[in-house]
Amino acid sequence: MLLNLRRWMLAAGLGVASLGLTGPAAAQETTFVFATSEVGVSSYNPIPATLTNAAFSMIYDTLVVQDSDLSYHPSLAESWEEAPDGMAWTFHLKPGVTFHNGRPFNAATVVKWIDLFRGSENSYMIDAVASVEAVDDLTVRFVMKNPDPNLLFNLSSSFMGIPDPEAVAELGEDFGITEAIGTGPFKLESFTQGQETVLVRNDDYTWGSPLSANKGPAHIARITFREIAEDSTAYLELKSGGVDALMSIPTDYLGEIKAEPELAVAEMPGQEVFYMAINVAKDPFTDLKVRQAAALAINQKEILDNVFGGYGKEAHNFLISALPESKLPADADISYDPAKAAALLDEAGWVLGADGVRAKDGQRLSVALWTQSDSIFRRLTEVVQAELKAVGIEAKITTFDSSTIKDEFKSGNQQLAVRSYFWPNADIVDWFFSAERLGYPNTSMFNDPKAEELRVKAMTGSATQEERIANFTAYHEYVTRQFPYAPIYQPVQNMAYNIDRIEMPAEIHATQITGVVMVDVKVKE
Amino acid sequence: MITYLTRRLLLLIPVFVAVSVVIFLILHLIPGDPLDNLLRVGSSPEKRAEMSARYGLDRPLVVQYGIWLGNLLQGDLGTSIASRRPVASLIGQALPHSLLLGALALAFSTLAGVALGVAAAIWRDRWADRLIMGGVLLGSTLPSFWMGLLFILAFSVQLGWFPVSGARGWESLVLPVLTIGLGGTALVARVARVAMIDAAERDFVLLLHAKGMPPGRIRLNHVLRHAMIPVVTILSLRIGWILGGAVTVEYVFARPGLGTTLIKALSQHDYPVVQACLLMLAMAVMLGTLLGDVVQALMDPRVRREAA
Amino acid sequence: MSLPRSLSPLGRAMATPLGGLAGGWLILVILAAVLAPVLTPYDYDIQNLPQSFRAPDAEHWLGTDEFGRDLLTRILFGARTSLSVAVTSILISVAAGMILGALAGYLGGRFDRIVTTLVDLTWSFPEILVALILVAIIGPGATGTMVAIAVAYLAQFTRLTRAQVMAIRAETYVEAARSLGASDAHILIRHLIPNALAPVLVTAMLSTGDAIILEATLGFFGLGAQPPVPSWGSMMSSGSALLFKAPWIIIFPGLAVAAAVIAINVFGGALIAALDVRSRPREG
Repeated sequence: MLLNLRRWMLAAGLGVASLGLTGPAAAQETTFVFATSEVGVSSYNPIPATLTNAAFSMIYDTLVVQDSDLSYHPSLAESWEEAPDGMAWTFHLKPGVTFHNGRPFNAATVVKWIDLFRGSENSYMIDAVASVEAVDDLTVRFVMKNPDPNLLFNLSSSFMGIPDPEAVAELGEDFGITEAIGTGPFKLESFTQGQETVLVRNDDYTWGSPLSANKGPAHIARITFREIAEDSTAYLELKSGGVDALMSIPTDYLGEIKAEPELAVAEMPGQEVFYMAINVAKDPFTDLKVRQAAALAINQKEILDNVFGGYGKEAHNFLISALPESKLPADADISYDPAKAAALLDEAGWVLGADGVRAKDGQRLSVALWTQSDSIFRRLTEVVQAELKAVGIEAKITTFDSSTIKDEFKSGNQQLAVRSYFWPNADIVDWFFSAERLGYPNTSMFNDPKAEELRVKAMTGSATQEERIANFTAYHEYVTRQFPYAPIYQPVQNMAYNIDRIEMPAEIHATQITGVVMVDVKVKE
Repeated sequence: MITYLTRRLLLLIPVFVAVSVVIFLILHLIPGDPLDNLLRVGSSPEKRAEMSARYGLDRPLVVQYGIWLGNLLQGDLGTSIASRRPVASLIGQALPHSLLLGALALAFSTLAGVALGVAAAIWRDRWADRLIMGGVLLGSTLPSFWMGLLFILAFSVQLGWFPVSGARGWESLVLPVLTIGLGGTALVARVARVAMIDAAERDFVLLLHAKGMPPGRIRLNHVLRHAMIPVVTILSLRIGWILGGAVTVEYVFARPGLGTTLIKALSQHDYPVVQACLLMLAMAVMLGTLLGDVVQALMDPRVRREAA
Repeated sequence: MSLPRSLSPLGRAMATPLGGLAGGWLILVILAAVLAPVLTPYDYDIQNLPQSFRAPDAEHWLGTDEFGRDLLTRILFGARTSLSVAVTSILISVAAGMILGALAGYLGGRFDRIVTTLVDLTWSFPEILVALILVAIIGPGATGTMVAIAVAYLAQFTRLTRAQVMAIRAETYVEAARSLGASDAHILIRHLIPNALAPVLVTAMLSTGDAIILEATLGFFGLGAQPPVPSWGSMMSSGSALLFKAPWIIIFPGLAVAAAVIAINVFGGALIAALDVRSRPREG
């Protein structure tokens, strides 16, 4: 009894000690806040991950890295060549690279890692890879089933950060939670799910990519990433000096940040697109004219100026404008045209009623508009609701939290839904409009034989990057002309930081804030 | 006293079983599939079936309940579906934060409430009484999330005295404790005031006055002690209410704790975690009520005698 | 204070200075909610984006929200949602609670035990938790909120009615009625329920204040009325994300909630005094 009591008191004491009653920060220590879209990772194991955050790219290196201009550069692979027919890729690995636990990184590591990757949720990324062979200690060859010009993109993604395969096997489910072993410039010190992730500098790091100014160990000795689900709370933390930087900030906050002298913003090209999914399988949107009318009712300029304070860009098709596949013929792009929207609805037989809502055969043009409960979605959706009303479409908003909405989409009961995605590659068109994924992610229930033909050609029938661009542009254009969605807005990516505390590199050579950028970041003391 | 305690503790067992059944059943009424948060969209039906079997979601409800209760009695709260970690470790991380916050809020409500209630009783029906009781009423009628947000705006953003959110150091406890505590203060102050006035008119107090004991000593030694009984009763009855306040306030201040864990798990349909959180809250409520009764028994000679 | 005994309890409550003030405010709020379309030149739902985030001024007394809509107008229309949700859910709760409580108190036995256990169970949970879980089951929106609030407060009305019924059940006139051959239903409806009514109604009045806060809290979690229909809670919910930019969006609806709840509490207090509930048989 007494013994138990003592154990209890010890446990209680530990509990109190873990409440974080700690002292002030020391040299080169800083606290950042993850982007709200990155909140909620359950583990730092990249292989089964369905969501990653910036810390993944700081713990794990990838074979190649992507610059902000979308070009590819060496990281763990010093150089690489593609066979002329696209049926093999050879990567020459950097010598002298070791994992956080001291094990060497070499060709055998890559082979084992790809084996682990095969059975995972993310294995679609290497669908085109038939096998991987170690040619010698530092040379590895990917043999392809079919040419995949997108291989480098996949290899640069944070899902393909390379963990120590031995450690993954040894730790099992604990890998990525209690320990995370990579080759990256930072090591995982502790991870409290939903709360914070603490990383410390990897002092052995000497293999920085050419995209970083600093090739050696990072300047920051210890960095704490906090997870804050609400953008406004995160912003108030930054403003009151509670944290030093926010990994992302909604564009509608930019005005406030620019008014604060001690805060600055690092801008990166946007990777996100806001759009309204239109369910083509549900009346009245089975009618192409009604879909087109709903799409033309969206006033991209009004939304850009008034909801997002003029920061970012209007969206006129499904892809971010940095991608070559986003360059569609002018008449395929979707732009605000209320007069044409009204004319189309008239043509389709929907006549304007006295209450400002159209009707046909006694039925009102009243539809369900779904969105998720995050504040920016709620605001944007209310504006979309008003814009639809202006052409005579009554939209009733239902708000779901972001995980419930996925279930609801699978029911196929949605009519309109305001959504966004974050992805810098044209294969996102396949993700959202493939007939293989009806309901979710294909919330538009888009199922069109011609589109499927173009999709398969784009996904697996492209031998070179040029061919892939042409095929995806054709697929993207065809989908867009069927109006299964209405483009709304492309934000810029912004990181906000306190200039009294943080010194950012002058130029950011990455598509987002990754380990490549973080090795160059300094804390001012 | 020991028999009284044992009897009360034994009485908790059927209530606990009832609570566990209700919690279990209600949760399975919530629409939505917890696996959806776990599987990448487009996963094969086989993968889904495999996962479903792994978490026992394919068995009949009664069996699922039996397994859950069996594990529970062995101290195993199960594995979180969303994070794949033992629920006990998630709860272990969250619980100390909530307990600390709840205990401090309770202490604040009691001290501030009794002080204000006594002051109001002493200056009964004078302006000080009206001022105190008016202020107290105001404090109990403001929604706690609203008050929390305004505190953040005033004390964290404008004055920079306290952190905006999180749980790092004692500074980050001040505003949440104040936010929850003010509602409780109102309740305690009202009860304490009435009890003080009531007790002051009792025969034994009048007798003490007649004997010439100084009024200050009477108040402190006899009236206050007598008046504390209803205060303890109302506090033990309202433990749940204070925990409820903690749920909202944890959310507003983005603090780790049972409330934030629960709200997140609820949105992810993470049954094992929701069940464990609700059980913890229910147990806290039950134990709080018991504690209140025991304290009351210790303070009130009549109950003490009856309990012995 | 000597008041004419002929006045109804409501009238007597209104005749006290504080009660009159509180009652007057409540009448004002209800009138304003009903007459909202006549009182304001603005629409609650028409957006005027260039006018968004205007601080309070002569044109918009309480400023505008993030869509350029007049905040005062939204608060007036929001009163309709918030008050009707609170009142309706309390009415549902009172009706259901009285039936359950009366039956449990009158019938006793196993039915009583089941009801009491269930009721004690919800009673031991904070109302906000009960409501959050129920909204998760029913789905967000006004209906879900109403049912959730009704269930959250069901316990107290059931308990109260049961206690009252048990206290009166044994009284002579009930016994007399039963010996004269009156049916159970007759006794319940004609004797037991009317006698339990006064304390239940006073509690209901005070609970309506709590229900307004609960509605606001659910709205704050984004689970209440769906846009563009305003409610005080949903207004504060969108305002919370804009706290640093336009604090008035969250401050004024909060004040509206506080004023209404204070008025209900003060008036409820005056009503208790006027009814002199305490001189009636105490709860058992």
